[in-house]
Amino acid sequence: MSREQRADKRQKNFQYFDYSLLIIVFFLICFGLVMLYSTSSYNGQVKFNDAAYYLKNQLKADLLGIVAMIVVAKIDYRIWKNFWWIAYIAAFGLCVLVLFIGTELNGAKRWLNLGFISFQPSEMAKLAIIVFLATIISQMPKQMGKFSSLIKIMVLVLPMVGIVATENLSTAIIILGIAVALVFVSSPKYMQFIVMGGAVIAFGAIFIMMESYRAERLKIWLEPEKYEKGYQTLQGLYAIGSGGLFGKGLGGSMQKLGFVPEAQNDMIFSIICEELGLFGAVCVILLFVIVLWRFMVIASNAQDLYGALIVTGALAHIAIQVILNIAVVTNTIPNTGISLPFISYGGTSVVFLLSEMGLVLSVSRGIRLEQE
Amino acid sequence: MFRNKTYNRRKLLVIFSLVILVLGILVGRLVYLMIFCSEYYGQKAEDLHERERDIKAARGKIIDATGTVLATNRTVCTISVIHSQIDEPEEVIAILTKELEMEEEAVRKRVEKVSSIERIKSNVDKEIGDKIRNYGLAGVKVDEDYKRYYPFETLASKVLGFTGGDNQGIIGLEVIYEEYLKGSNGKILTLTDARGIEIENAGERRQEPIDGNNLHISLDYNIQLYCEQAAKKVMEAKSADGVSIIVMNPQNGEIMAMVNVPEFDLNHPFTLLPMKSSASETEQSTTEQNKQDLLNQMWRNPCINDTYEPGSVFKIITTASAFEEGVVSLGDQFFCPGYKMVEDRRIHCHKRAGHGAEDFTQGIMNSCNPVFIELGLRLGVDNFYKYFQQFGLLNRTGIDLPGEAVTIMHNKKNVGPVELATVSFGQSFQITPIQLATTVSSLINGGNRVTPHFGVSVKDDQGELVETLQYDVKEGIVSSETSEILRTVLEKVVSEGSGKKAYIEGFSIGGKTATSQTLPRSANKYISSFLGFSPAKNPQVLALAIINNPQGIYYGGTIAAPVVQEIFSNILPYLGIEKEAVPQN
Repeated sequence: MSREQRADKRQKNFQYFDYSLLIIVFFLICFGLVMLYSTSSYNGQVKFNDAAYYLKNQLKADLLGIVAMIVVAKIDYRIWKNFWWIAYIAAFGLCVLVLFIGTELNGAKRWLNLGFISFQPSEMAKLAIIVFLATIISQMPKQMGKFSSLIKIMVLVLPMVGIVATENLSTAIIILGIAVALVFVSSPKYMQFIVMGGAVIAFGAIFIMMESYRAERLKIWLEPEKYEKGYQTLQGLYAIGSGGLFGKGLGGSMQKLGFVPEAQNDMIFSIICEELGLFGAVCVILLFVIVLWRFMVIASNAQDLYGALIVTGALAHIAIQVILNIAVVTNTIPNTGISLPFISYGGTSVVFLLSEMGLVLSVSRGIRLEQE
Repeated sequence: MFRNKTYNRRKLLVIFSLVILVLGILVGRLVYLMIFCSEYYGQKAEDLHERERDIKAARGKIIDATGTVLATNRTVCTISVIHSQIDEPEEVIAILTKELEMEEEAVRKRVEKVSSIERIKSNVDKEIGDKIRNYGLAGVKVDEDYKRYYPFETLASKVLGFTGGDNQGIIGLEVIYEEYLKGSNGKILTLTDARGIEIENAGERRQEPIDGNNLHISLDYNIQLYCEQAAKKVMEAKSADGVSIIVMNPQNGEIMAMVNVPEFDLNHPFTLLPMKSSASETEQSTTEQNKQDLLNQMWRNPCINDTYEPGSVFKIITTASAFEEGVVSLGDQFFCPGYKMVEDRRIHCHKRAGHGAEDFTQGIMNSCNPVFIELGLRLGVDNFYKYFQQFGLLNRTGIDLPGEAVTIMHNKKNVGPVELATVSFGQSFQITPIQLATTVSSLINGGNRVTPHFGVSVKDDQGELVETLQYDVKEGIVSSETSEILRTVLEKVVSEGSGKKAYIEGFSIGGKTATSQTLPRSANKYISSFLGFSPAKNPQVLALAIINNPQGIYYGGTIAAPVVQEIFSNILPYLGIEKEAVPQN
């Protein structure tokens, strides 16, 4: 988008809308569905006697998410300023609730069963924290340079991080990462973030030391072939390695046939590598880069700091998840459960992600007001 | 409303750049994994996906000289279960328990074990396998397989040998000719998912099995069967521990029969034979180790694996050495007072009263010990050992059976006159029956040291010759004159001497009797034997019968010679050896 074009729009008083982002998100959703079907049809057949079982569920969530995205995009994002506390309390409350009445799956209580759907409050918490922090920070931009405000923000965020971390460390890391990114962008300083970075690393280290199973994960990370629990990681590597340059072709994966457990979830990227090769994997990464680039453009041109911070939060959210997911799948970092946005199987995740996209698009609509 | 400041944008760019940097590193990691590690991980993944199923090759048959199949294959089934495909485990357990006659607990354990495939039982009769297949139980697999089968069960059991669980030879010819018989298994390579279920349409690679070749042996079913009957008869009549009979062609070393009673059932090689009453008390305390020892004992082939003191039959070798060295002639006169003094020892003749004056021919006819002691002393240790070496007596015969025992002979430097005297009539050292039969064959056939053997040729199932088996022959181990003298005097032994009971009207038979006492001498156990051949002038068949620990009369000439006589009277006409007019004195 060149300056001339934008000037053009300003003159004609066009309502700006970031269609390129919308198209890429749609493309990612559709690509995600194709890959999900390819990856999950075996598991669906085995477990539910329905190859399209996962596809159907995801399609429903995608449709719901798209509706939510359109609705949110239509609404002026500034309205949410008034509801930030509702979002925060609701997310916090649900995260507490899930500890008591949550449904256990694979040894972790992460789901709230609402009868007609299962719902993961931690996914909601990510969106809530973005709206919440954007509101708080945008109300006191001048103080953001001070170390005390930094502490203040972190004190507000940490309860949420703590409550999520008890059951879902990876989501807690994402929430923390979003908070750090928002504070970083809103502050004119650099030095304190290096200090903060150190604090985060220390926090992580303490967390790992506290629970022996996390220390064990480190060992598995270093030598996955020696540990039984390194199975998933190793199978992921087999999938990636057997992909080669151009992959085995769509549907050609062998590793999805039960070798990579629950391949449609966090490990879906390894199957993309196996079927589409290095070429396909890099294309997927490029798609995410384009999404992030659009986010940066929207955030830079946002009408106000509040909008810019919302988009920055979304950027941080997606960037962290993509990076952590690919890093886990390639065994670059120790294994932790993080899904690949728009592609991994997960209804709650995609509904809130698309709502978040709606927010970003809503911010992009505000760009025309830049010249008022 | 607060504006979006420049530093906000700059910091956003910092974040974006950081993200791009990290993603770049991850792409680098992907390039490393997918290009440089591709082969390694790809191979590992393939190993994981590929399942190899063997297609068993049929093991070659063992066929005797008459074309009778002595060892062949039978189709059997292997029953296994695939855990993830079982719908009704209780029904599966109940049916398998009933049909396979197994403990329910054992079946349950395997059916309920979470594994891709679990073998329940192998070597199940085809009938039962078909029956189980007809139930159509989900998750139960019936695979057909070959199992070795011996139509004549006990016939030549210790010669043929049997095969183990993987159809590999364990003892006997099955071991020696393993390479010819086994063939090579084929393979089906298929792709499977994580549960071990084959993927349809994935295409399979197939490697056809190559069946084993058939082994044709010189053993003759009819002669073997006849010898076995004769051996059983004498074993029963004399309550002997065991009887071994070797029948071979002295001209080329082909073995026509090798009997070792009691024989065992080749189709059930791990079932111990009913034991003699003396052993019954130890039966209860049979431990695993004990049982293995007893099985090994049962599988032993005494003709090959065990040594014994040959006794008087060995006088043939002493005679050959003496004539070869020229220290005796047929007319030489000897005197037997019933013993012979060697140094300070008085060594008795078997006839305590003595044979009196006799020439050499009479000496061998009487099997007179002092005569042979005299021969031994005339030869001296060096010469005697020179001929042992020359006759091939000190080496193994090289027979195509495993575990041949070696001759146990005195160390040459420890041999004094007393030892020399005992050796010359076949005592105080041990050789295997096959060594004795082979050495005598070589001495009487004109001096060609033959290699005793069963294997004649290897052919494929269409009868196409694959290989004719070759054996070493060492010529001239003894002069033809000496060989002829041996044949002549040995014929006299049968026609007029101690081997009279082997005489058959119309056939010329040479032979020598022997009676030896086993160690320890105080046990008063004897081995009585007879070696005979026919026709005496041009030997075509040689038989050695050894009766181990007969009760009552134990003289070789009395109990072993009739066994060979009985065998010869049947097999000589069978072998097409013409009757000739031999007047009996």
